[in-house]
Amino acid sequence: MKILWRHFDRFLRHRRDLLLGFACIPAAQLLDIYFTVRIGDALDRLRAGEDAGFLRNLFVLLVGIAALRGVFRYFQRWWIVAVSRYVENQLKQEIFDKLVSLPFAFHAKRKSGELVSRATSDVENVRMFLGPGLMYSAGAFVMVPASLWVLFDLEWRLALAMVVPLVLMGLGMKAFTPRLHKISTAVQESLAELSHRAQESFSGVRVVKGYALEGSMAARFRAQSREVERHQVELGRVRGATHALTHAAFDSTFVLILVLGGWAMIDRDLPAGDVFKFIDLTFKVFWPIIALGWIAGMYPRALSSAERIDELLATRSDIVDAPDARALPQVRGALRLAGVGFRHEGAERDALSGVDVAIHAGGVLGVVGPTGSGKSTLLLLLGRLHEATRGSIELDGTDVRRLPLEQLRTALGYVPQDGFLFSDTWRANVQFGADEPLSDERLRELARIACMDEELERFPAGMDVVIGERGVTLSGGQRQRTCLARALARDPRVLVLDDALSAVDTETEARLIENLRRAGAGRTVVVAAHRLSSVRRADAIVVLRRDGTVEAVGKHDALIARAGWYRDTWRAQQMREELEVL
Amino acid sequence: MSVHDENVVGKAWDGVVVRRLSGWARPHWRLFAASFAVLLGLFALDLLGPWMWRHILDGPVAEAVAARGAGGDSTIHMREFWWWIGGYCLLVVAQVALRHLEVSQLNRTGQAVIADLREALYGHIQALELSFHVRRPTGALVTRVTSDVENLNEMFTSGIITLLFDSLKVVVLLVAIFLLDWRLALVVAAGTPVLVGISIGFRGGARNAHRAVRAELARLNGYLQEVLQGIRVVQVFRRERQVGERFAGRLSTYLAANLRTIFLFALFFPAIDFAVSIIQGGTLWVGGLSIAEGRMSTGEFVQFWFYVALLVSPIRELGERYNILQSAFASAERIFDVLDTRAKVVGPAKSPRDAWTGRIRFEGVSFGYDGSTMVLEDADFEIAPGRTTALVGATGSGKTTLVNLLLRFYDPSAGRITLDGVDLRDIPLDALHARMGLVLQEDFLFSGTVRDNLVMGRAGVDDAALREAMRASHADEVVARLPGGLDAPVAERGATFSTGERQLLAIARALAARPPLVVLDEATASVDSGTEAKIEDATRKLLAGRSALVVAHRLSTVRRADEILVLHKGRIRERGRHEELLARGGLYARLHALQFSEAEVEPEH
Ligand SMILES: Nc1ncnc2c1ncn2[C@@H]1O[C@H](COP(=O)(O)OP(=O)(O)OP(=O)(O)O)[C@@H](O)[C@H]1O
Ligand SMILES: Nc1ncnc2c1ncn2[C@@H]1O[C@H](COP(=O)(O)OP(=O)(O)OP(=O)(O)O)[C@@H](O)[C@H]1O
Ligand SMILES: [Mg+2]
Repeated sequence: MKILWRHFDRFLRHRRDLLLGFACIPAAQLLDIYFTVRIGDALDRLRAGEDAGFLRNLFVLLVGIAALRGVFRYFQRWWIVAVSRYVENQLKQEIFDKLVSLPFAFHAKRKSGELVSRATSDVENVRMFLGPGLMYSAGAFVMVPASLWVLFDLEWRLALAMVVPLVLMGLGMKAFTPRLHKISTAVQESLAELSHRAQESFSGVRVVKGYALEGSMAARFRAQSREVERHQVELGRVRGATHALTHAAFDSTFVLILVLGGWAMIDRDLPAGDVFKFIDLTFKVFWPIIALGWIAGMYPRALSSAERIDELLATRSDIVDAPDARALPQVRGALRLAGVGFRHEGAERDALSGVDVAIHAGGVLGVVGPTGSGKSTLLLLLGRLHEATRGSIELDGTDVRRLPLEQLRTALGYVPQDGFLFSDTWRANVQFGADEPLSDERLRELARIACMDEELERFPAGMDVVIGERGVTLSGGQRQRTCLARALARDPRVLVLDDALSAVDTETEARLIENLRRAGAGRTVVVAAHRLSSVRRADAIVVLRRDGTVEAVGKHDALIARAGWYRDTWRAQQMREELEVL
Repeated sequence: MSVHDENVVGKAWDGVVVRRLSGWARPHWRLFAASFAVLLGLFALDLLGPWMWRHILDGPVAEAVAARGAGGDSTIHMREFWWWIGGYCLLVVAQVALRHLEVSQLNRTGQAVIADLREALYGHIQALELSFHVRRPTGALVTRVTSDVENLNEMFTSGIITLLFDSLKVVVLLVAIFLLDWRLALVVAAGTPVLVGISIGFRGGARNAHRAVRAELARLNGYLQEVLQGIRVVQVFRRERQVGERFAGRLSTYLAANLRTIFLFALFFPAIDFAVSIIQGGTLWVGGLSIAEGRMSTGEFVQFWFYVALLVSPIRELGERYNILQSAFASAERIFDVLDTRAKVVGPAKSPRDAWTGRIRFEGVSFGYDGSTMVLEDADFEIAPGRTTALVGATGSGKTTLVNLLLRFYDPSAGRITLDGVDLRDIPLDALHARMGLVLQEDFLFSGTVRDNLVMGRAGVDDAALREAMRASHADEVVARLPGGLDAPVAERGATFSTGERQLLAIARALAARPPLVVLDEATASVDSGTEAKIEDATRKLLAGRSALVVAHRLSTVRRADEILVLHKGRIRERGRHEELLARGGLYARLHALQFSEAEVEPEH
């Protein structure tokens, strides 16, 4: 409960609306009761033989009461529910900002679909409970005691007896709540799994089709779908039970009124108008009570949702600006890695260890090594997407942890290995890299540097061509070159290329390199590559071993002069070249 | 073919959709019949209750009061009173039991139907060709099989059946009210159109508002999902604030849509209650006159009051039901739209023959993704059994496209592709795919275990074959480093593997079934050259006598091919063996020269 109250703080930021809204509730409910009382009284007056002339004025009064009640109900809903929506938005924004700020390591382990559903259904659960939920509860907490108060005066035995079904229903609901909670959680989970299955097989549709997996995928989906059905049917059963329970309480209240009221009428001449009041107020008490049951059923879910949200919002990114972070007057681009090591969270071994290398501003640093040796990981450390677990990385002599992230990352132009693009236009994707709006001219220039200009011309929409999700409507090489244009758009001091030309043919590659050479004057370039010829002229080359340790650091000439992976690979590549010319 | 987006406006009643849905309902007619019986029984009991009230109040109670007033004996009336009470208790018990069934039975019925529908829909989407998938956000397709289908459940539980019964109720109650007291009935009859009017007027606005909320929410979530998938790019480009602002912009349109629904609902419920209160006031006025003139008893008034309450509740909910129906119809329409999209790339059910030699021919094949701009033109070549054909060419020249055609992800716009002289279109898709092992340029690992990803549910892949494939592809080294080995978990899209490692696993997957034809599209682009060479040798041994189609940029990987095709701007410009092509001094020779000249990244100083 404490957790939910903490969430209520966000509601309290809209104190005025909330207060006004809640103030409307008792007013509306009391008017509602008054409406019934006046009708009951009228019935008695009629039975007592009074002249029916008063009915006309009474009608006017009743209409007035109803109108006033309507006004209160309108504002009650408008104010309270609107506040709940403001809070929802606030919470969603907080979650979004948090998710975006959490390090890559956090995201690698989580399903994006799950995080999206957290931002949707968890927020909705909390909103429903604290917004409309509290509104309906407040309504019930006014309606029930006030009605009983009125009825107590008329026939206290009956009023007292009416409490019994209510209490029994409350207890019954309480008994059902854990089961309801358990089953609705099971339903939610099975639905989430179903949606995950669908998501995955639709995004991997090429592999599914290429391996003729439609049948086995459908079988798995079917099994999950039946699982969902089973849980849903079970949930329906429990819902049916709670539905029946509330109705049992309602209906047995009528039995009580019939028995005790009828008895009192016979025995003590209880006026029929009073029996009417019992009947009509039972109708009016019933709905708030049902709502209470519904809210009680929501409680466990809201609670666990609030817990999950809190947990997420409390997750701290350790990759933030240090308190003593100070910006460099100007970034020049000299890099220095000293004893750098890294271990993935929960991994048994280091992905990278003991990297010592330095590169002057404007120099080229090559990173090579077998598959899975940690090249990409090393490049990610530069921009602090991962934080080095050991050692230090310095940019222009300052530890990157002491630099504002803003400055560090603005200085970097990064081309990821997977070539991720957004489902937007080519133009928007390149613009993504730049801080200022790019002119058409500049965009064309970037396209030319990235050797995309001819291809863009072939698209009917030109630079405004929409590329599908993750860039599916581009060829692999086009994707990589778009990423390159995006990185160059920020005019970075340090260009980081992670195997960025692997899907580009040799001719284009040669042109690209030439272009980069010209456009990149004065830039530091860090390049991870598999073809050693791409790093041959580098000022320093780090050779990584399969286990993430450093085998050697040096220039090309020094590296081929000593035995090791570099020389072997170089020779093999040379030999193949020679073989080919034969 | 049009597939409606989230913005589609559903009709309130769509005969065609209902007819089609009833087709899905028919196999479960027993469940439906049971639901009907429950609702009918419940309605009868609902009518019976107030009737008993009247008889108790006007009968034993009034008589006992009168008898007592006359100083007579009321015992006999009391006994009668208790009999009635006993009957009423039985009624309540029956009612409660049926209330339980009302929810659980209807729910069960709906779930049974939608489970069928969901599975059929999923199967259908999977069968649809790639061009269908490429043009749609994955999220939208997922929505079809999840929330759209779930939405239909509402149609069954609180939609059609309930609506039918509600109308029945209104009619029966109106008749009953008239029979009871026509003057009072006139008051109610005058008020009913007002109620219905408010309800219907409301749904007009609510429809648009609801639709807007749903569409905005879908857009919001779609954006969030995409940002999460590209989180690395967002962070490294320091675009957290910008995407946050964009999200905030979407949030504020979402809020505006929500405020509109809140306004409508805040107006609607009080308005309906107000109208009901006027009817009640009128009932009191007219009824009161009747009571005063002795034309009506208290019991009758109470029965009447109950009936009015029964009558009002379905009308009150009409607006809501209307919305549910409408949104369900919109979902149904979107679902049927997908179901009506005929798969264009289909194969026959039966294979024209059992044994194939495996000769593949491209005969004058042309293809364009949008049908107009050709990406591939007039491709003519053959992959002879047991031979390796290589495909090289500039980026964007159409290599992957050609592979897509061979796999029948798309069908050629002109020309044909044959296997042993049989058009690929006349071969069952699974028979075709069972012959191939492929590594795609954009390969995909599923979440699950490493083993699942390698075996992929194929019957022929046993442990020995798996080990052999892993050894040849060097994936064994990757697996050896995982805690848990083959049973280690794979994250979404294999996010915890390096790019090269993912490729090695994909190669192992392709080799595991020892297919007659392997298709490798840039399969080793991110693998170091040492490993690459070893994989090549091992693969050649493993696949001795099998055919292969290899796409590569690094010419070293293709030089041993039996035939090399050089693709340029969608046309095959040169073909031949490595030496021949070098000797010819054309495109290939130029590419080759470039590759082995200087190629390194280095800015000018
Ligand atoms: N699904 C698609 N829809 C529309 N156009 C596409 C689609 N897929 C590819 N294209 C376009 O078709 C052309 C050829 O692409 P393809 O993927 O076949 O090239 P590729 O030779 O494999 O290139 P790379 O070597 O860069 O992978 C490109 O211009 C690309 O933009
Ligand atoms: N999130 C993660 N959790 C655990 N291990 C990881 C994670 N990400 C990567 N790894 C592991 O860290 C190692 C280094 O990966 P990295 O991507 O840096 O290799 P790489 O040298 O770039 O390889 P490639 O040549 O294939 O691109 C790999 O063994 C990989 O499986
Ligand atoms: Mg890598």
